[in-house]
Amino acid sequence: MELEKTIRLLKEGKHLSEERVYDICLKSQELLITEGNVTHVDTPVTICGDIHGQLHDLLTLFEKSGGVEKTRYVFLGDFVDRGFYSLESFLLLLCYKIRYPDRITLIRGNHETRQITKVYGFYDEVMRKYGNSNVWRYCCEVFDYLSLGAIINNRIFCVHGGLSPDVSTINEIKAIDRKQEVPHEGAMCDLLWSDPDDVDKWSLSPRGAGFLFGSNEVEEFLHTNGFELIARAHQLVMEGYKEMFDGGLVTVWSAPNYCYRCGNVAAVLKIDDQLERNYTIFDAVQPQDGVGNAIIPTKQPQMDYFL
Amino acid sequence: MTSTNTNNQNNVDESFSNTEPKRVKVYVLENNEWKDNGTGFCTGEIRDVEEGDEITKSAYLVVSSEDDQKETLLRSKVEGNIEYQRQEETLIVWKDLNGNDIALSFEESIGCDTLCEFIIQVQRHIENSISLISVKSSDNGIGSVHEIVAGPVILPSTDKDQNTDTLYDALKIVNENSIYDYMKNETIEFILQSSYINLLIDHFHRAEKGKMIKDLFLLSTIIKTLILYNQRDIIELMVDDEHIMGIIGILEYDTEFPNLKANHREYLKLNGPCFKEVIPLENKDLELVVKKYFRLKFLKDVVLVRFLDDNNLNSFMDIILDLKTCIIDWLQTDPFLDKIMNIFSTDDDSSKKRDAIRLLHQYVGMSKDLDPIDKTKFYRTLVRKGLFNVLSYAFSQEKDSNLRILATDLIITIIEHDILLIHNIQNEKTKDTAIDDNFPPASDAITDDMKLLSILSTILLSDKSPGLMEQVVQALSTLLHPDGCLAGTDGEFSNFSSISSINGFDVNDSDNSYGMDGIFNSIDRDNNETEANKQLKIYFNKFYSQIAPFLFKPLMPKANIDCSELDDFLLIHLLKLISFIATEHTRLISRKFILENGILKTLSQLIGPTHILQLRLTAVRCFKNILNLNDKYYHRYIISNNLVDPIFELLKDNLFEDNLATSCILDLLNIVSLNCTLDSGKENDQNAKHNLTEKSKSLNKAKNNFTILNKHIIGKYGSIIKELSSFPFIREMFEFDRITNEIEKELDIETDIDRISPNDTDTNKSDATTENCKRSYSELETSENSNSNEDVSKFELDQHVVTS
Ligand SMILES: [Mn+2]
Repeated sequence: MELEKTIRLLKEGKHLSEERVYDICLKSQELLITEGNVTHVDTPVTICGDIHGQLHDLLTLFEKSGGVEKTRYVFLGDFVDRGFYSLESFLLLLCYKIRYPDRITLIRGNHETRQITKVYGFYDEVMRKYGNSNVWRYCCEVFDYLSLGAIINNRIFCVHGGLSPDVSTINEIKAIDRKQEVPHEGAMCDLLWSDPDDVDKWSLSPRGAGFLFGSNEVEEFLHTNGFELIARAHQLVMEGYKEMFDGGLVTVWSAPNYCYRCGNVAAVLKIDDQLERNYTIFDAVQPQDGVGNAIIPTKQPQMDYFL
Repeated sequence: MTSTNTNNQNNVDESFSNTEPKRVKVYVLENNEWKDNGTGFCTGEIRDVEEGDEITKSAYLVVSSEDDQKETLLRSKVEGNIEYQRQEETLIVWKDLNGNDIALSFEESIGCDTLCEFIIQVQRHIENSISLISVKSSDNGIGSVHEIVAGPVILPSTDKDQNTDTLYDALKIVNENSIYDYMKNETIEFILQSSYINLLIDHFHRAEKGKMIKDLFLLSTIIKTLILYNQRDIIELMVDDEHIMGIIGILEYDTEFPNLKANHREYLKLNGPCFKEVIPLENKDLELVVKKYFRLKFLKDVVLVRFLDDNNLNSFMDIILDLKTCIIDWLQTDPFLDKIMNIFSTDDDSSKKRDAIRLLHQYVGMSKDLDPIDKTKFYRTLVRKGLFNVLSYAFSQEKDSNLRILATDLIITIIEHDILLIHNIQNEKTKDTAIDDNFPPASDAITDDMKLLSILSTILLSDKSPGLMEQVVQALSTLLHPDGCLAGTDGEFSNFSSISSINGFDVNDSDNSYGMDGIFNSIDRDNNETEANKQLKIYFNKFYSQIAPFLFKPLMPKANIDCSELDDFLLIHLLKLISFIATEHTRLISRKFILENGILKTLSQLIGPTHILQLRLTAVRCFKNILNLNDKYYHRYIISNNLVDPIFELLKDNLFEDNLATSCILDLLNIVSLNCTLDSGKENDQNAKHNLTEKSKSLNKAKNNFTILNKHIIGKYGSIIKELSSFPFIREMFEFDRITNEIEKELDIETDIDRISPNDTDTNKSDATTENCKRSYSELETSENSNSNEDVSKFELDQHVVTS
């Protein structure tokens, strides 16, 4: 089958034709458009944090956590930028989504925007790999359709960044028309950009977008919506995950040895039917090419030069 | 050194002679206490000493007494491995070879500077083993910071026969030397002056042949350490013709991947980056710069990609930017560019033309992050030298979509930098021809700026490549963005940040209700701008008369085009453009165009179920943006033609779903609800938000576009919307509707009374409004077909019901 072949090529980091990428992006749009801004997911499910184009580590992630054939996944966003295989990582997730629509939920991260990807690597990667920006444009169009959050068993709220002063109930997120470039302020922006911190009220974020929120905000949000946990990503954690506010919030980070040099381990969080939390820690391993030979991950050099 | 004249001290190098006397106190350490040996003047002295035939130099620090110049307080030879410490600003302290601790305390720091400089010169030229260390208390006041200012520097061995030991030592040395600026600079000097790099490369070839793994890793680590010196000359040295292959060869070995070897050399040799020549580049200096540029990028992106930290990366980028600027500068003066442009006016084969387009695209891409002034200069040169010929070839004759994409990308880069560049140069050309050939100024001919719009529109409507379509829409919206056309006439510094952010421009901007009217007002205030203002009007008039009817034809009911046969994705693009012109262009012109051509009616149909959901929602958003303009003509047109009906059909079908369709429509309803109170002059403060009585008060005066719309929606679709009552703003919509109805009943009575008193201001106001409406409707009447006339009379009927 065509899709299986594409998945195999992507896993090997091989080149896909522009037309093929366009097809994948279009099919993904059709799937994502039927999802709400906050999708509902059942247990058991595995929550994954930032991937950032580290294709080989994404493959390790699937290997260590059961694989998409057997396990349900929620990805918290930031699929692209920084790493050298943003395109393959994102497309692989989309292909899995098309292949197993109820096994994979993809949430938008703050890197899934035109503006950010132009600066942090994804755009350049596509230019190097294709010589024009078409494929980047197709992917950006898909970014606009990604949902903004997920709820597991009505008890766990999943989001990339964190809370927003404009959002006290989930209903308020539903009334956002999410199909747009992430705005510089407002609820949609905050959900993707905010960070938890040791603050006693909403505070300015050093990132220049979103807010810092503390245990008060988390408690109130959990209480109002009848939740017990906020699972988010967005911040590098050397140990792979970090619980805060009496376990009311957890940061999950899934890019080991971030940027190929940070030396951190990665984690995914499995939630079972009793809502017990099980963390799986994994390290960066020597990447391999399609036929099992070890390779050094690197950027693909630009194609022809003209004199 | 030995060649200097020994008889005349004045002949000694200017920078290295006896120093001016500086006032100083001399201390000597005796029994652990500093003893004051008196005050005097200190000079650094150079003496020539004859030893047989040899004449050598010696240096002394001499202090003669202030009271009696003949009395010498101190005479200390600068020799051996004495370490001089400069402590803070005014103190020099050392232990001489006899073990005496001596300190000079200068009156002024300038005096201390002079003597320290003397010591530095002595270290360089006479006594290499002495050193000068600067000691300062650290910022936090605890402890002190030592910094070498001069002294002997250990450098790697330049022995021709390198081996594991020499390499190991060298690595240690370059590492240690990187800590202090002084030693680092000396090492850099050494690398640049000696042929040490060649020495390493020579040994690399031997080591690779002899499989001396340890040496290979050491070499790689030494080179990386030198790269971390972050020194431009060293980096440039590494990428020149002589060294590049050796360097990337060495870097194929990486201690991080001890079992792997990269194949950078093979890659550079075989797969590229192959340097394609479209026509021979005769300028060899330029060729070298271009090659250096690409090699540096290769180092940065591939060879060292996991190794460079932010600091290194920045210096690589700086060098690269510099080379780019140099290349772009050179291109403009070199006949090379003319030759490239000439390809398009000849019958050269199309593959050459294609490569020439790729080349131009590459150089324009290279220029993207240059200084704005440099960019303007370069783009202007390109346009002058015939860029339009290139584009017209690409757009009219070239069949390969990929090349048209490159050409569009190229034009986007230029117009996003400055649209006026293209306009102004066109103006220049018309002037020139008018003078030279006595050509009548061709005001009725399609100007180049319209030509470009026309070409782009044609591509959008005919080309099926989705990527190209998106690029063309981006180019069109840039060309049609009024901000871009308002920049200073010279167009040096127009800022396009706002445009780059509207790639997906159905961004729901709730504060754009003033549109272009506001912009015009601000121009009027400034007399200097009236000319630009006039040109802008002409430009947009041309667009609406020449281009828009063609570009938006698929959206006109008159065109009798069966929408179901058109590509839904093309329609999505056209709808985004409609949103764009409705919100960004002068309201008067764009509204007239949109309403006269019945475009909103087509839009309404596109919400119907025969189209893909992406398109249907884009149409909803388009209505949302237009309603958000809070423009009564749009509002009434939309209501009286029942254009929002399909939105609620769509809502009905998705009422119990949680998907993007419901979110999109909920957002629309939220906007309606919010604006019901917002528009009445009452700000959306917390009070008004949560206090319905406050709201109803403001509603009292407000019979605004949104309360009318709200009434329309609730009246017709209340039963559907009721299902969404879990959303507070939906409940408010019903409440507003109730209040509006009550007010209307009251107003019925009031207006009856008003009729009797003609002085009442309110009545005057409402009369004026009605008058306004009529005027504008008659505008519509004169141009619209009979069908719309019915609409208009129906409006007035509605209006009558509401006001009287
Ligand atoms: Mn993030």
